[in-house]
Amino acid sequence: MDIRIENLCKRFGNTHALDQVNLSLQSGELVALLGPSGSGKTTLLRSIAGLEFPDSGRILFNGNDALHLTVQQRRIGFVFQHYALFAHMNVLDNVAFGLRCKPRRERMSRAAMREHAQALLDTVQLSELGQRYPHQLSGGQRQRVALARAMAIDPTLLLLDEPFGALDAKVRGELRAWLRRIHDETGYTTLFVTHDQEEAIELADRIVVFNQGHIEQVGTPDEVYDQPCNAFVFDFLGRGNRIHGEFSADGFIPRGTELRLPARHAAGEGHILVRPHDYSLADAGQGLNGRVRSRRRIGGRITLELDVEHQPEVIELDLPYDLGPSAPQNGEHIGVVPTRYHVLD
Amino acid sequence: MPQSTDTQPLRVPRPPTSDPPWVRRGLIALAVLFLASFVLLPLVLVFAEALRHGLGAFVDALVEPDALAAIRLTLLVAAIAIPANLVFGVAAAWAIAKFQFPGKQILITLIDLPFSVSPVVAGLIYLLMFGAQGWLGPWLDEHDIQIVFAVPGIVLATIFVTFPFIARELIPLMAEQGSDDEQAALSLGASGWRTFIAVTLPNIRWALLYGVLLCTARAMGEFGAVSILSGHIRGLTNTLPLHVEILYNEYNFAAAFAVASLLALLALVTLGLKSALEWRLDSERGAAGRRE
Amino acid sequence: MDTRSVSTPRWRRRRVLPGFGLTLGYTLTWLALIVLIPLAGVFLKAAELGWSGLWAVWTDARVLAALKLSFGTALAAAAFNAVMGTLVAWVLVRYRFPGRRLLDAMIDLPFALPTAVAGIALTALYSGNGWIGRWLEPYGIKVAYAPLGIVVALVFIGLPFVVRSVQPVLSEASVELEEAAASLGASRWQTALRVNLPTLAPSILTGFALAFARAVGEYGSVIFIAGNIPYVSEIAPLLIVIKLEEFDYPAATAVAAAMLLLAFALLLAINLLQAWSMRHRAAVH
Repeated sequence: MDIRIENLCKRFGNTHALDQVNLSLQSGELVALLGPSGSGKTTLLRSIAGLEFPDSGRILFNGNDALHLTVQQRRIGFVFQHYALFAHMNVLDNVAFGLRCKPRRERMSRAAMREHAQALLDTVQLSELGQRYPHQLSGGQRQRVALARAMAIDPTLLLLDEPFGALDAKVRGELRAWLRRIHDETGYTTLFVTHDQEEAIELADRIVVFNQGHIEQVGTPDEVYDQPCNAFVFDFLGRGNRIHGEFSADGFIPRGTELRLPARHAAGEGHILVRPHDYSLADAGQGLNGRVRSRRRIGGRITLELDVEHQPEVIELDLPYDLGPSAPQNGEHIGVVPTRYHVLD
Repeated sequence: MPQSTDTQPLRVPRPPTSDPPWVRRGLIALAVLFLASFVLLPLVLVFAEALRHGLGAFVDALVEPDALAAIRLTLLVAAIAIPANLVFGVAAAWAIAKFQFPGKQILITLIDLPFSVSPVVAGLIYLLMFGAQGWLGPWLDEHDIQIVFAVPGIVLATIFVTFPFIARELIPLMAEQGSDDEQAALSLGASGWRTFIAVTLPNIRWALLYGVLLCTARAMGEFGAVSILSGHIRGLTNTLPLHVEILYNEYNFAAAFAVASLLALLALVTLGLKSALEWRLDSERGAAGRRE
Repeated sequence: MDTRSVSTPRWRRRRVLPGFGLTLGYTLTWLALIVLIPLAGVFLKAAELGWSGLWAVWTDARVLAALKLSFGTALAAAAFNAVMGTLVAWVLVRYRFPGRRLLDAMIDLPFALPTAVAGIALTALYSGNGWIGRWLEPYGIKVAYAPLGIVVALVFIGLPFVVRSVQPVLSEASVELEEAAASLGASRWQTALRVNLPTLAPSILTGFALAFARAVGEYGSVIFIAGNIPYVSEIAPLLIVIKLEEFDYPAATAVAAAMLLLAFALLLAINLLQAWSMRHRAAVH
């Protein structure tokens, strides 16, 4: 089912939770709503679900107005951040809950319901746990039950609110991969909210970057990472630094160097944005000169922190780990040159 | 120009967790009807009947000598029972909340026993002990000590029925507060008593007041237990509730309700103070829980 | 000189805070004197009758009628309170309306009001020409001086127990559960029945048990409104009083023992209930 959101606005008191939000989602996509806390992403999710109502704007499901539908009528599967499992029912009954609520005409037989619920438990790999109660399950297991329960009503849309926020790192990693697999198998249009850019990049077909109630950028993970449209998106999607210097007709000259980097920008003082992995080493004296103030090895990379002359910020620089002992040591003076950079305000 | 000129408010369904208006109004009406017929109306009626024959008759009923005697006795009994239970409550809470020992839970359950005993039985047990046919009866007779059908008996019965009130308010609070503050005081050289007065008491004062309040309300209003041990001697061994009963049984309704309204007024004051203290207590418990 | 510390026996282990011995000793002594020994006295006296004697008293027609009446009316009143109390708690927690705070404070009136006052007030209210009684009279519904009156008085007495048991659970309940149910297609009614009610069940049960325990032994608020007619509207506590006035101490004690046993059984049930519901409510957040 495809979704169109037009000029959605919602205010809570004096804050604009949603400010003229426009978005289009295609059937079968896995889309991440990414942004800091309070940026409006959860409000949008809940508005689509029917748990909140916007002040103005439209939400269209397959071209039809959805705002006049109650949450029950919208047939969306919602997975809550803290799972919201029914503590007094066992896992199987939780999953079958939506099936039991259907009007008599549409309701399956008891046996069919049980089969259907069990099949879903098989899909989420919890086949043996049907008789257990929520308080007997781990966080990751509860999350999977919540997903199975949402899928049981054969929703047109799956909405997940910070699905992995309450879990520890290792479980989170496993569940991310698992969610991607489930999505590919089932093909549900899925929308999830997260504040973790790594999660968004790893999982989503497209990322919607939110900030203070409006959408900054929409694109594939590569697009938003490599071609951020503004400084906020750049900062939010990954690590990076500002290199200060001067723009002129010739390009950008970083302060204290004789480098000339091609750039188009109004003349005057300014900065460029560079990711840590977009530098190459040059000899000391060429390019940006700095002293290594710290050196850390993290997994497959070596991260250096440089005190660079004439630059106010400490510069972070990633080098591949297999450089090994020839990589610069603490206290060394080296030169670096940005190979890729962004000119953004 | 893609501008939304939507000036009308959106027509949206009800929020998902709210009930339809007719359900809401119906349930509220039902609840109000229930509370009105069982709680509000009886209360209003007490005052209405008390003033039925005018303010003059109302005052007369209250200043009548037997009524005054009943007031005095009620106050006297409360003045003895409450401090007695206060000392007990504090001692029990100190022992239970600040120390570890086996059988703690059993002790707490035993302290709660008077709550589950019928008031009549509460009176009976002292009758069995101190009555003429009781165990200590003959001995008391010998020494000319009158307990049952006299004031001491009434005091005993009142102590019994209000026994747990103060303890069960203090125990959870003091347990939650732990002994850190007291240990700090001791390490600074304070003696046990000083620690208690300067450190513990201030921490528990609202719970203490709350317990005393409940204790007082119950002590002054107790009927069944006191009825058994009182001699029903007008002007001597009648508390206010017993006096109400006597007046009522004599068909002196106006006077009965007049005295009853005094007790009802006490109940209302109790409720008011209770609400105020509950608010206080909640913030105390919150603070205790936030301590690391 | 051996300066090694000798291992102290457990009971002598030093405690940091002072006053343990003093306070525990006082507590136990006072408890024993005021509560335990007198209560034991009832059972000892009852035991004097021997099992056959006790049985004879307990199965006496009048005693049986009184016990059944006390038990039956208490059960009916507690059940009524369970339903209405839950409703009141729901209304107070979920809805906003003028006078809500006042109503909330009034719930505690039965705790604060002396039972004798409640007794005469309810009697006046529900008697044939009382403010409520006069509306019921034409339909032949007799409340005052009839068993129904006993139930009314016991409803008054037990009213706060269910409401105050359910209220905290209801206000703590996460609204997410209801949103989840709605998102899965449940109507408000289905949500209330399948999600809210089971969550509240332990607290409703606890409130019911407390109201029941209180109502079984109630005396002051009942004797004015009941007819006090033997075999018909005479409650067990009243029977005890009558036996005492007749100086039939053994019979009075026997009935008292029965009531105590019932009370203790209820106390045990309540404690077990609360322990069970604590376990069942293990955090699912």
